Amino acid sequence: MDATGRRRWAIAGLTGPAYLWLALTVFLPLSAMFYFSFLTAAPIGGRESAFTLEHYIDFFTKSVYWFNARRSLELGVHVTLICILIGYPAALVLAKQISGRWREALFLLIILPFWSNALVRTFSWTMVLRGDGLIGRMINPLLPAGWEFDLLFTYPAIVIGLVHAYLPYAILTIYISLQAIDDSFIEAARSLGASRLKAFRRITLPLSIPGVLAGIFLIFVPVIGSFMEPRILGGKNAIMLGPIIENQFVTAFNWPLGSALSFIMLGIVLLVLAIASPVLRRHLSVG
Amino acid sequence: MTANTGRWIGRTYLGLVLVFLYLPIAIMILMAFNRSALYELPFTFDTVWFEALAKNDRLLTASFNSVVIAAVNAVIATTIGTLAALGLARYSFRGKRLLQILLFPPITIPWLIIGTSMLVFFFWTGIGRGLHAILLGHVALSLPYVIVVVGARLASFGPQLEEAAATLGATPWQTLWRVTVPILAPGIMAAALFAFAVSFDQFVISYFLASPGTSTLPVEIYTSIRKGFTPEINAISSIIILVSMGLMMLVVRHFRFGGER
Amino acid sequence: MSSVEIAHLCKRYDSVTALDDVSIAFEDGEFFGLLGPSGSGKTTLLRALAGFVIPDSGTISFDGQRVENVPVHRREIGMVFQNYALFPHLTVNENIAFGLSVRGRPREETAKRVDAMLGLVRLEGLGERKPRQLSGGQQQRVALARALVIDPKILLLDEPLGALDRRLRQEMQVELREIQRSTGITAVFVTHDQEEALTLSDRIAIIDRGRLIQVGPPRDVYERPETVFAAQFLGDANLFQGIAEGDRLKLSGGQILHTNGPNTGSVVVRPEKIGVYPAGTAPATDNRLDGDILQAIFSGASVTYRVRVPALGETPLLAFLQNQAGDVLAPATRVSLAWSAAHTIPVAS
Repeated sequence: MDATGRRRWAIAGLTGPAYLWLALTVFLPLSAMFYFSFLTAAPIGGRESAFTLEHYIDFFTKSVYWFNARRSLELGVHVTLICILIGYPAALVLAKQISGRWREALFLLIILPFWSNALVRTFSWTMVLRGDGLIGRMINPLLPAGWEFDLLFTYPAIVIGLVHAYLPYAILTIYISLQAIDDSFIEAARSLGASRLKAFRRITLPLSIPGVLAGIFLIFVPVIGSFMEPRILGGKNAIMLGPIIENQFVTAFNWPLGSALSFIMLGIVLLVLAIASPVLRRHLSVG
Repeated sequence: MTANTGRWIGRTYLGLVLVFLYLPIAIMILMAFNRSALYELPFTFDTVWFEALAKNDRLLTASFNSVVIAAVNAVIATTIGTLAALGLARYSFRGKRLLQILLFPPITIPWLIIGTSMLVFFFWTGIGRGLHAILLGHVALSLPYVIVVVGARLASFGPQLEEAAATLGATPWQTLWRVTVPILAPGIMAAALFAFAVSFDQFVISYFLASPGTSTLPVEIYTSIRKGFTPEINAISSIIILVSMGLMMLVVRHFRFGGER
Repeated sequence: MSSVEIAHLCKRYDSVTALDDVSIAFEDGEFFGLLGPSGSGKTTLLRALAGFVIPDSGTISFDGQRVENVPVHRREIGMVFQNYALFPHLTVNENIAFGLSVRGRPREETAKRVDAMLGLVRLEGLGERKPRQLSGGQQQRVALARALVIDPKILLLDEPLGALDRRLRQEMQVELREIQRSTGITAVFVTHDQEEALTLSDRIAIIDRGRLIQVGPPRDVYERPETVFAAQFLGDANLFQGIAEGDRLKLSGGQILHTNGPNTGSVVVRPEKIGVYPAGTAPATDNRLDGDILQAIFSGASVTYRVRVPALGETPLLAFLQNQAGDVLAPATRVSLAWSAAHTIPVAS
């Protein structure tokens, strides 16, 4: 075998196993689910099924699905916005005010919860938010009549849980882009007469936008697709696309409908990606 | 506002953020050691729930499953992921860009969709549900992380060392084992720990692919929560959180040592 | 010791031609320098010899056997990389022993040969150190020892002295030469530094954009460049152009230059061959031009004059003089420049 042939075999042998695995577990399944979304019933166990567009049409005609999709998008916007608003100042402090070993240690502390078990983390919030939980028992006696601290199974609970889960993401991406801003830019601006606030507004803020956008993308997508946090923290209030899809697969067993809804959600995700992509690509290639 | 005041405001703010991040975890761990099953104060230290945990067969079996799957997943994902990273880092070929882009879907597509599509496909093709299906899914999720982590380490020392080995007469196999792998070792370790953590903490995919009766720990905890709260959950959850975070610190330590050079 | 030959080597990368019909027969035991600007293809050529680059067409032969399809690890070459590529996880001894150990040589024999090598490169006693504990010069010697210990057919060096500072570079040039001579190995090295090429090589090849411009011993290539590129890349050159008249060149201002043999309208004169005299005091030589000094650059042992000469238009004429008398002519002085026809070299246009 000559050198070029050898090379081809090497490349195929090295990348083959991993990508075959991905094909079998990600790409083929996605295709299968896409196929399913156009069937009347799941073609398993010898059931008859026919081609149909009814599931997709249902989404656009039945208001309940629209409503849910909208709620999911709202959730995405709320959580992302809050994460950015809380995360930006934190990242700013970390990048500009703290240095050396403290910075590394704090950075690690902020990222650590993100890597803990998501389910357990969400569960831990139920204990904080319930009326008879630790905080509830401490605060409720102090609150004026009519006010009660019992956030479990409410929309705010879902938001709090998700913000807690994804805040580190926001801090991470914004921190990275802030860190890349050379201090000498700020110094140059100040030497030219800009006040601290002006220097921030005209130099730091614009240069950190790519980090903010990366954060938005990394938070918005998973939040739209979440079902576990809404279920656990929102209970019956979890009327969103994620839980509905899960329902179709686990309880209602209407797999074709679930598949269609999944792909609609995927479509929403891709739309977000398409909008964010040009800016992201610029940021990612510079970094 | 002086620079100093600004500094104090900044640090306080950061402190508050950290409190927010660790509050629920701290409370949960606290409650795990509280004798009362119902959050009653005052707080009395007791390890009764941990003892109950030791007798809870369901949770113990699920924990065992989680650990085994995570370990096997780490081995498989690290092996084929490292090979793929080698292929991508050391060769340029048509379609390489495509392969790199294909690493994105598993991490950017919501896990809900990946989980349901796996469920659909596995059922349809007869692979079915269960621990084997969960393993298939976990490796798929771990692969992109492994490839990126190992790829970064490979990029840090370029192909010259391997080229040098070749000029000295080492076959590709010898080069791999005497040069590449030893130098790559810290990155491989970090990737393996990553893969373990990804699998151990994974809920969504495991949820869809678990068969009734056998499942992993996160799934077991979920069903227990849905059915009704038992305080042993607090105990096992505290253990898990501490283990996950501990693993993560290991990863950071290792990776930094490797990258130091 | 073996004969290495490349014939009609071609290599393209998309729209870029890296090697364009290159043929060289390397002589046994010579130290051959490949000189050229970046992107000229010299590194591609070296890597083709090593086996990292597979040519589109042409042949590479070691001892008459064609090796284009022989993988790198079977070619029996020794290579010293630009940044040495020492294995960071192995000691100096283990690095040097690597080539022998992958061939399965017995431990004792390996140990003996490693020791001998350490002696040859003068690094005795440093065997147990790790590469990061060594200086740049020491690392380079380890790289050299590692490549030589396996008795390769040919030694390939990629910008061997590029990473060293000036003083170290001069020392290493001498040592490198001595080591190569004592082992008698055929060595090919790549450099963009002309001084390095001149001092180290038995023969030089100038390469530009994949084509071989000129091959020969350094002195020949330097004193008798064949093209304008060769003249200007290896050293400095003053280029005169005009109408060819056999052994003479008629310049735009009407002056006549006597050339070393028939010319085709372009000649070069090296700056060190030109004498600079205050106007009117120049001796009677073949060629003489008048001009005004633009700049006099004093560099200690030598002086460089940039002179405005009408025949060259905007381009200043360069002249190097040894600082024998210790005085420097001031700018704006009118001078006469004088040099011989033998140093007026015709080049291809």
